[in-house]
Amino acid sequence: MPLLEIRGLTVRFGGLTAVAGLDFSVEPGALVALIGPNGAGKTTAFNVITGIYAPSSGSVRFDRKEIGGVSPHRICAHGIARTFQNIRLFRSLTALENVRAAVAAAQRSGLRDVVRGPGWSQREQALEERALELLTRLGLERVADTKADALPYGEQRRLEIARALATQPRLLLLDEPAAGMNPSEKEALRGLVARLREEFGVSIVLIDHDVAFVMNLCDRISVLDHGEKIAEGPPEVVRRDPQVIEAYLGNNGESA
Amino acid sequence: MRRPWIGLVLAAALLVLLDAGLPHVLNPYYLTILTRIGVAVLAAVSLQLINGFTGQFSIGHAGFMAVGAYVSAALSVYLGAGWLVALGAVLPVPLARALYFPVPLVAGGLAAALAGLGVGIPALRLRGDYLAIATLGFGEIIRIAILNVDAVGGARGFSLTSAAQPAADLRYDGLGAIYAVVALSVLVIARLVYSTGGLAFRAVREDETAAESVGVATTRVKVEAFVVSSFFAGVAGALFAHSEGYVHTNSFAFLRSFEIVVFVVLGGLGSISGAILAATVLTAAPEVLRGLGEWRMILYSLLLIVTMILRPQGLMGQRELGPLRWLATRPRQRHAAA
Repeated sequence: MPLLEIRGLTVRFGGLTAVAGLDFSVEPGALVALIGPNGAGKTTAFNVITGIYAPSSGSVRFDRKEIGGVSPHRICAHGIARTFQNIRLFRSLTALENVRAAVAAAQRSGLRDVVRGPGWSQREQALEERALELLTRLGLERVADTKADALPYGEQRRLEIARALATQPRLLLLDEPAAGMNPSEKEALRGLVARLREEFGVSIVLIDHDVAFVMNLCDRISVLDHGEKIAEGPPEVVRRDPQVIEAYLGNNGESA
Repeated sequence: MRRPWIGLVLAAALLVLLDAGLPHVLNPYYLTILTRIGVAVLAAVSLQLINGFTGQFSIGHAGFMAVGAYVSAALSVYLGAGWLVALGAVLPVPLARALYFPVPLVAGGLAAALAGLGVGIPALRLRGDYLAIATLGFGEIIRIAILNVDAVGGARGFSLTSAAQPAADLRYDGLGAIYAVVALSVLVIARLVYSTGGLAFRAVREDETAAESVGVATTRVKVEAFVVSSFFAGVAGALFAHSEGYVHTNSFAFLRSFEIVVFVVLGGLGSISGAILAATVLTAAPEVLRGLGEWRMILYSLLLIVTMILRPQGLMGQRELGPLRWLATRPRQRHAAA
């Protein structure tokens, strides 16, 4: 039984069909890549899965429940977390506050925080420790008290992942995590993504342009072009798919 | 704080001393200004919750103060006067007054919170400029609606004297009590904002889409901020009504709303200390500058312009001072700083 199952998903913006009849599924524990040229509909698909857009038609099921058109914070509560293509951190908050906000998003502030009765500070302490632990596991403990917008780019990307993990997701969606990174940073990121799957037991879907980046990392690759899925399968098969080579890799695909 | 009651007793003693002692030390002019500063501080800090911490731009705050002021005043005049006289018959008068006066404050706050809920739910669907215009409109609607209610004096204003109980003194201008209410309200807002759950307010301010994506119910958080903020604006209005003994809708016109926005922006969006500082300085400034005659409004404006040029992030930015800074700091950071 797949964790995420998308059937016949279509998203239209006025006359533009961004995603056309997409079928896509993610098994528990899988690490899947969604690749395709600019404007192929990858991010749109993410935005539907996370509730930012509602599907025009088709179904999105997570853990057997239909989540198409559900609001983003409820989808997060179901167990889907994401990062964004153009990093969206809480910029003027510290790294720790970014993660704390996500740790505690489900528990809202209220009278309890005003009265601060017995047990309050232990509870706060526990939330903070959970946040700190996440920062540590992503190698960000040193910058816990640094404001997010003062962090170098690579650390901002990692912080966004830490914040997503703080919601204890079962499915993690990474939207172009490698964008703007140099080769050695990309290599480190690959290690990190593989480790996340092991250590946190999350299923991961990641979007990228860079075929080489996902090639040795993912179990399965789905290729989108003009909103349609043109190929799907293990990396080796996808790499040799003539349609992919033509639509995406160009004519000398092998070297891409 | 092993024994919080010691602190409470000390605070109560200080309060009584201030209430009873200050009128002997300061003349009524200074007392009035100090009272108005207290009201301004409360209005500014409550608006800071919406504008500074939740990142929504509301410019109709005086409307909610008006609701608090008029509801509490009407309560005191039509019902409270009788209660006060009845209480005074069985209890010593100061005690009867101390027991009664929290009632109109809470009532004014609740009425304003209710108004905030009614306004907030539709208005918070709007963003940025549109939200600002909507809140401005609502503020004016509230004011004009009150202006047409004859039971609260309409355009004549509303004096806090009861025809049925002319002996009841419905004014309450004890500075100690007023500042205690202000301090308590500021503490409530600060604790709300500076808790892990309260990070949701700031998360919404920083990035709504990202906040939603980590599970923050952003619409709900915004409405909560609006309701809590309106509650304290209502309390501020009730304090104002009872300390002045007379209310008029002119006190809650757009200019008043605008003034509160200035406190918040000048103090620094996202700083409670900044709102307190700016509300204090800017309420006192016109009085301090009174000697300059007609030049004072020019100087006041220059003060604003120069501050915004030198410190566009406001006096305090997002930082806090003193006990508020302590509240805003995590135990871990306190530990690290020690």
